[in-house]
Amino acid sequence: MASVTVNFRDLVILVADPSSYMTMLIHSMLRGFGANKVLEVRNSGGVFQVLTGQKIDILICDARLPPHGGLALTHAIRRKEDNENRTIPILIMTSDGRETTVKLARDAGANMVITKPLSPASLYDRLAWIAFNPRQFVDTATYFGPDRRFKIEGYPNGVGRRKGDKIVEIAEEAGPALAQDDIDSLFSAVRTGQN
Amino acid sequence: MAKHARPEARIFSVDTRFQTMARRPGGVLREKAIELAQAKIDEIQPEFDGWLERELQDLAKLIAKAAAGKAEQNWITAANFRSRQLRDIGATMRCELLSFVADSLCDLFDSIAAGAECNMDSVVCHVDALMLSRQETYRHLQPEQVPELIKGLRLVAKRASL
Repeated sequence: MASVTVNFRDLVILVADPSSYMTMLIHSMLRGFGANKVLEVRNSGGVFQVLTGQKIDILICDARLPPHGGLALTHAIRRKEDNENRTIPILIMTSDGRETTVKLARDAGANMVITKPLSPASLYDRLAWIAFNPRQFVDTATYFGPDRRFKIEGYPNGVGRRKGDKIVEIAEEAGPALAQDDIDSLFSAVRTGQN
Repeated sequence: MAKHARPEARIFSVDTRFQTMARRPGGVLREKAIELAQAKIDEIQPEFDGWLERELQDLAKLIAKAAAGKAEQNWITAANFRSRQLRDIGATMRCELLSFVADSLCDLFDSIAAGAECNMDSVVCHVDALMLSRQETYRHLQPEQVPELIKGLRLVAKRASL
């Protein structure tokens, strides 16, 4: 793939991680990339609060975000039919890079997974990949999210592909992490000011 | 009334604002963007030193209480959270040895959380290794530069998981 440049200016980026220092670190990297609208939250309640109040362009979220985890949050965002941020790109951060974890993130509706520890290069390349590889959305009774049938041929600028990387295969969904009632209650709790 | 199952998948294209905006001309070239991001990380190095000290002290207090039989509720979850932070942030801040020791401690806490016996000597030994690796002389060393420490730590971790 030819060399690409990502323009981060005026993109509204929401970073969700329970560690305040980690969010500051990611914020700093994004500022270095040229981003000027970065929001930070520490839990799922904070994400819902932001999502109900404004439109964001991308969510960068930790897989262990309290209280239910980033994958349950992703699932909740994707399944909520009247949520105007339903199709936003979601990048999941995890310390556990095992294939099963990546598959769970993909089945929850995440666009991409990035393994911690982060580096400026790994973060840039994944964001560039999301920007330059738009995927169709699939809506079925059990899944709503980016088409899971894809393979990574390499990140923009020809970097990021590791020897051990495998083509991701389509898997059976293990079942939703949250019931629809739980998703509804998460949104309504934010609307009514509970957290 | 039961909902009717949707007969097939609906597949549609989404043109997100992120993709539209990110592909506008005028962005910073990748190599330059990474260089600038690294410079921003270097700017917060003074805060990192203070943060690291506080995190280590808090972790040490948590472990000392548990070792003295006065463990706080959910101390393993709290200690694991701090260890993960030290591992992930430490590596990004180029403290490879610290990150390595914290990673070993995370494995220890993960196995305890999964039901393994809690061997406090192993946990305390890791905390001591963390304290050592934060010192200026060790801070930027790679794990392979201190083979004896790593060998000892691996032995301790292995014994704890038996």
